[in-house]
Formats: sequence, C-alpha cells, structure tokens
Amino acid sequence: MNPEPFLQLDRVIHEKGRLAIMSMLAASPELAFTELRDTLSMTDGNLTTHIRTLQEAGYVAVSKSYQNNRPLTTCSLTAAGRKAFSDYVTLLEQIVQQTRGK
Amino acid sequence: MERTQAAEHLEVIRTLMERSALYRRALAPVTMLAGTLGTLASAAGWFLNFETPIVFTSYWLLVGILTASSAFLLIRQQALKQKEAFLTPPTRRVVHAFLPPLLIGCVIGLVLIALEMSQQGSASTNPSEAGKDLTWLPIAWIVLYGCALHSAGFFTPRGLRAFGWLFVLGGCTVFIWWALFRFGSIRPQQTGHVLMGAFFGVLHLAYGVYLSATERKNAA
Repeated sequence: MNPEPFLQLDRVIHEKGRLAIMSMLAASPELAFTELRDTLSMTDGNLTTHIRTLQEAGYVAVSKSYQNNRPLTTCSLTAAGRKAFSDYVTLLEQIVQQTRGK
Repeated sequence: MERTQAAEHLEVIRTLMERSALYRRALAPVTMLAGTLGTLASAAGWFLNFETPIVFTSYWLLVGILTASSAFLLIRQQALKQKEAFLTPPTRRVVHAFLPPLLIGCVIGLVLIALEMSQQGSASTNPSEAGKDLTWLPIAWIVLYGCALHSAGFFTPRGLRAFGWLFVLGGCTVFIWWALFRFGSIRPQQTGHVLMGAFFGVLHLAYGVYLSATERKNAA
C-alpha cells in the first residue's frame, strides 16, 4: 500500500471536531456560531478553540456583526480552507480506492 | 489509515454537509399558527356567508397573506432568539421552494377576481353569482400548497414531504369526488370554506401537535 496519501492528510483538518466544522462550513456560504455549536453539540469553549486553530491555519474567517442590536458571530470557509478541505476529501477517496483495489 | 476509517470519515463528512444544508428551526409553532388561523378563518367564512366568487376568493387570499406574514414574523423571532441570521442559506432554499406554487395560487385567485369583476360590469351577466360553483379553486390551492410543501421538504429534516403528499393526494381525491358526484345539498362556497378549514386548518393543527411532541422529545 502506498502510504503517501495518508502522510499528506492535513493534520489541522484531520481532528474530529475540526473536520466536523469544516464539513458544515463547506456546505454553506456561512453559518452562525450558535448554529455550529448546536448542530455539533459542542461547548462554546470547545468550538472557540477549534475555530481559532482553523483561523490561524487560514481556513476559516470569522465575522462579528449586529443584528437587531444583538451580536452575531458568523463563520465561513476561506478560499484556502475550501481548497484544503477539497484536497483532504480527495485524499480520503484515494485511500479508499487504493485498499479497495487489493 | 485503514480503508474503513477513511470511508467512515467520508460518511461523516457527507452527513454533516447534508445537515448543514437543512432548515432546522422548530416547525411546530409555525404549523400550529397556520392551523389556528386556517380553522378560525374557515369558521368565520362559513358563518359570515362569504359566498360570491369575488368575496370568497379575496377573503382567502387575504387569509393566506395574513398567515404567511405571521409565519414570517414568527420565524424571524426564532432567529433573533437563537442569535442567528434570519435569511440563512437553508431558509432561503425553503422560501425558494415555496414560492412558485404559492405564486401560481395567487395568480389564479387574482385572475378569477378580475374576471368576475369584468363580468359584473357587463349588463348581460346575472349580478347574483353566489351559486357559481368555485369548489375547484380551494382544491387547486390545496394541491399547489402540497407541491410547495413537498419541494420545501427536500431542505427540512422532518416529514414535510409526506405532509405535502397528504395535500396533493387529498386534493386530487376531493377533486375526483367533486367532478363525479358534486357535494349534494351543501352550497358550493360553503364546501370551499369546509375544504380550506379541513386542509389548511385541521391538518396543520394535527401536524403541529405531532411536531410539538417529536421536537420536544428530540430536544430532550
């Protein structure tokens, strides 16, 4: 088995919680922080930590605004994040294909 | 990394991407609101004898607009309470799915009103039009609304598509019955009020009760 695809897997995305966040953001132009938290059943602290890691990697953009005088935090994938996610999925598919051929 | 692990990861990604695209706000309050308004409007229409085609059609178009506006405000309130944007991508998808059939229903109603008004203006027409059988109109509205629900059901997690089918099949059944046998002794527009009340009122209320129970259970 060629170990290369596995070695190429992006470690930032590969973590379970961050993969979930990236997956949800990949299917939507943007999502509210609360929507992510509720859907993924994460705590505020946990989600904040993961989003910060993704932000530092340049994969996620966070914007803060106000809607009807209430603070609204929304997250979205950056172009780099979208590409990284797409590459990650392609590598996973390669791994599946490789072992299926055996 | 094992093949099964990679496949599981892909499955998780797929599930989460699908979930992200779904409309997840509570549907029970909106359904109950629509059901209550539909039932009350049906009873009022029956007792106040809204029977001429123009009055019947205008009345139900207004009820429809009132119900849609109230639902809009309720959903906006839900979004504000949850500190979310109102027009999220899933909400937009649901609205887009709803719009074409509802628009067709409105156009049919408005054209009917315009035709009736122009006929009333001409001298050759009998001014008393209360007896004209308009039962096809609520049936058309019921089926169109069913189509709207069915389309929106592709972007919601609950059984909205099945609920849409109930309207489509129910509407078709009533149409066949009406075309073959009519409804006997009941005056035509009274039948219309009953149909509107049964489908837009009682059915919504029943679905609302079901959703209240299941949404609460899932939230627990």
